[in-house]
Amino acid sequence: MAHNFKNDVTVDWCPGCGDFGILTSITQALGEMNFNGNDVVAISGIGCSGKTPHYLNMGGVHTLHGRSIPYATGVKLANPRLKVIVPSGDGDMLGIGAGHFVAEGRRNTGLTLIIYDNEVYGLTKGQAAPTMQLGEKTKSLARPNVFGKVNPITLALSSGYSFVARGFSFDMKQLKELIKMAVMHDGSSVIDVLQPCPTYNNVNTMEWYRERVYKLDEDKNWNPVINPGEESTIDEKFQKAYQKGLEWGDRIPTGVFYDNRTIPSFTKRLAEFVPNYLENPPSEQIVAATDGYTNVDPYVTFADKIIQ
Amino acid sequence: MDLNIAIGGPQGGGIDTSSNMINRAFAEAGYNVFGVREYHSNIKGRHSYNHIRVKEDRPRSLKYPVDIIVALDADTIFEHLEDVGPGTKIIYDRSFESSDLSQARMIMRDTARRIKERLDGAGFPNTVKGAVAYMKSQGGVPIAVPFNDVVAAATSEGPASRYFNTLGSAVTLSIAGLDKKFTIEAIKQVFSNKEKVVAENVKVVEGAYRYAAENGMAGTPLKVLPKKKRFLLTGNDGSAIGKLMGGLRFQTYYPITPASDESSILEEHEDFAFIEAEKKRLKKGGVVVVQTEDEISAVTMAQGAALTGARSSTATSGPGFSLMAEGIGFAGMDEVPVVVTLYQRGGPSTGLPTRNGQSDLLFALNTGHGEFPRIVLSSGDVEECIYDAMKALNYAQRYQLPVIHLIDKNLANSTDLVPEIDLKRVPVPQTLRTEPLPDFHRYTLKTENGISPMGYLGKDIFWMTGDEHDELGHVTEDTEMRDAQMRKRFKKLETALSEIPQNDMAVLYGPQNADITFVTWGSQKGPILDVMEDLKAEGISANLLYLKMFMPFPTQFVKGILEKAKLVIDVESNMLAQAAKVIKLNTGIEIEKAILKYNGRHMTEDEILKAAKDIYEGKTKEEVEVLENGA
Repeated sequence: MAHNFKNDVTVDWCPGCGDFGILTSITQALGEMNFNGNDVVAISGIGCSGKTPHYLNMGGVHTLHGRSIPYATGVKLANPRLKVIVPSGDGDMLGIGAGHFVAEGRRNTGLTLIIYDNEVYGLTKGQAAPTMQLGEKTKSLARPNVFGKVNPITLALSSGYSFVARGFSFDMKQLKELIKMAVMHDGSSVIDVLQPCPTYNNVNTMEWYRERVYKLDEDKNWNPVINPGEESTIDEKFQKAYQKGLEWGDRIPTGVFYDNRTIPSFTKRLAEFVPNYLENPPSEQIVAATDGYTNVDPYVTFADKIIQ
Repeated sequence: MDLNIAIGGPQGGGIDTSSNMINRAFAEAGYNVFGVREYHSNIKGRHSYNHIRVKEDRPRSLKYPVDIIVALDADTIFEHLEDVGPGTKIIYDRSFESSDLSQARMIMRDTARRIKERLDGAGFPNTVKGAVAYMKSQGGVPIAVPFNDVVAAATSEGPASRYFNTLGSAVTLSIAGLDKKFTIEAIKQVFSNKEKVVAENVKVVEGAYRYAAENGMAGTPLKVLPKKKRFLLTGNDGSAIGKLMGGLRFQTYYPITPASDESSILEEHEDFAFIEAEKKRLKKGGVVVVQTEDEISAVTMAQGAALTGARSSTATSGPGFSLMAEGIGFAGMDEVPVVVTLYQRGGPSTGLPTRNGQSDLLFALNTGHGEFPRIVLSSGDVEECIYDAMKALNYAQRYQLPVIHLIDKNLANSTDLVPEIDLKRVPVPQTLRTEPLPDFHRYTLKTENGISPMGYLGKDIFWMTGDEHDELGHVTEDTEMRDAQMRKRFKKLETALSEIPQNDMAVLYGPQNADITFVTWGSQKGPILDVMEDLKAEGISANLLYLKMFMPFPTQFVKGILEKAKLVIDVESNMLAQAAKVIKLNTGIEIEKAILKYNGRHMTEDEILKAAKDIYEGKTKEEVEVLENGA
């Protein structure tokens, strides 16, 4: 029987929160992919989004604010067999953890980053998050937002992420499919999920988004995929993705912006240097000899430091 | 024989290579060497030097004045003005003599000012010629060698200055009386048998020995000692070796001096070899070393790996360790086995990035907000680095907490000849598990010793959070669960205190009762052991309470020794006598006398001896003696 990814922990998000749609999309996607509970782990940061792992029946770590990416990278690199999803807030990913977000694009470890993008810091009562527009005034702000916004799509592209998509938490059918694609993608993927905060963001509401979102693949010619052998199309598809990434306002694109399957994941790059890395990764290695002492021979390993 | 050598030159001018030649040549002849590397935070040009000591038995410390100063540039003469004593041989190039101190742009301004004051005060010109004359007035024996001519006569391959380091080493070794064949053997090792390079450098060695012989500089032939197989290692090497032996399979780091050498060494040896008996049984694997975007990432990524069952660690220095504070707190709260090797350098802030310090002890004991258990241990010599690194990984696994392993810069950059590495000294428990644990409660309270079964992501289903949590790992704010989990975490520290052998926490060297009881930790161990022998020769008995573990702290043992001690002198490389403060906190005993040094340079035998005698003989009324040796 398929593993049930939902558990019985009480969900304490506000009624009407966009997070519910993401949670359901995750459990459905993982269930449909026939994973077991120990094939997948969820590593989150802090805030409402950070609670996600507790609501999933699988290994889950609710880490520090902004640090979900490095924790997740450590998990994936030590056990590359695992599928690692990273549900984290816009503050986590693009504010306090922005350095890790950029670095992970360069690494391309093979993480599935799901950005809960609601433009506010909900759990601390609605301060402006890095994705909020300059001049936007939500009811929880004393004055209009004085900062410009970070664009998650174009930043992800510039950072080198090989799969970049956007979903809307009230379109679970699409979001579930995006999550499945992202999880199966060999490198690191980013899904920016528009996720209204009904308590603190009275501007970017569910209705506001519903009037604006459209799907990139409504255009039958939209093809963001670059398969091995199609490297010559990378520049063109990257530029198209970037152009679409800049679109915001009356119309907001969702779906897959960029899906480059030609960039080797970090685990594959490591496998070129570290002996037997993918077959016998750090998490699976026997570190002791049968007599209970070291199995590493320093005399051979460090022969370069011996004076005979 | 007891020979102290200082060989200096511009950073990037091959000083390390010279020292390596000297070390290896003496080792080839069966002698023991010990050395420390001093350098600026600079890539090329500023003064760097190696202080080396050679003895028949193993040297444990360094000593001023030195017996030989080798100056590969003019700055070295100025910088080491005060390091000479009666008979110190000063090898330099006569062409340096006209160099003027005011033109020596690579000498730090304050240093140049001090040198000027010294030369002016003694009435010597501000040139190398004047400086050499000053050194001569202090008993030094100047030996001017025409570097260019000697090299030019030996080889015409490339610029002569390329061979100055080989020349300097070879002249030194010739003066010491070491047979040429050992020097040539060392050349082969240093240049990894690169035929062409070896051939040219051997010509320079021949030229140097010829010149020394013709000019009456060659020393009386040194006796050759039986040669043994030994490792020539730094503290960085020791820690890297210990980690691999201790089962490390995942290391993270962000570049920082003096820590990143350890990670580079691990990367160079990522394809390690198994012991013969295990080769057939084990699947080949390697250690994964990851350079991260910052130290926050380094400490958290290492934990991510640890959660899958891999033994993992990171290595850093003060500034990076400051960034790691939040990650260490998570490891404490969530019981993650992770080792942080903290290479201490002079702080605060960027401080003295390439210089010694022991000022991070109190920080290591208090890193992070809130209260959580950790283990803090320290090493004092290269061999300890090996076995302590293994033990640190074991403690992390056994007690599921952050382990902070302190190594000071002086030790990180010490070179030592280690006769053997004992494969059976530290057991390595295998923790790999393939089957998931049924009905798993990661933080179960059903434990006598505070230790709950470890869960592995990918094998077990469990949860973790930096929030206070229940037995399953879910967030809780329940008052009783909070208290129970706090107690469970701290219970592990009591367990550790009861399980870790006394000798791994603190050691008493020397007689039970003594006129002077030294207290120290880290790299002063060797110098103090030497000072104890010096004092003994003068009829003063001394012992050493050597601290290795600060949390948990061996309170009863330390108390027992200090309560019956006559005169206690705390010796540390910091300003606040931090270990003495830890002792006070744990035992209530206040140590009144201290010998401290915080100028960033290594403590030497002579200065500790002098300060200790001044205190013992009542020549000083001060409670704290501050040491100042070192260029």
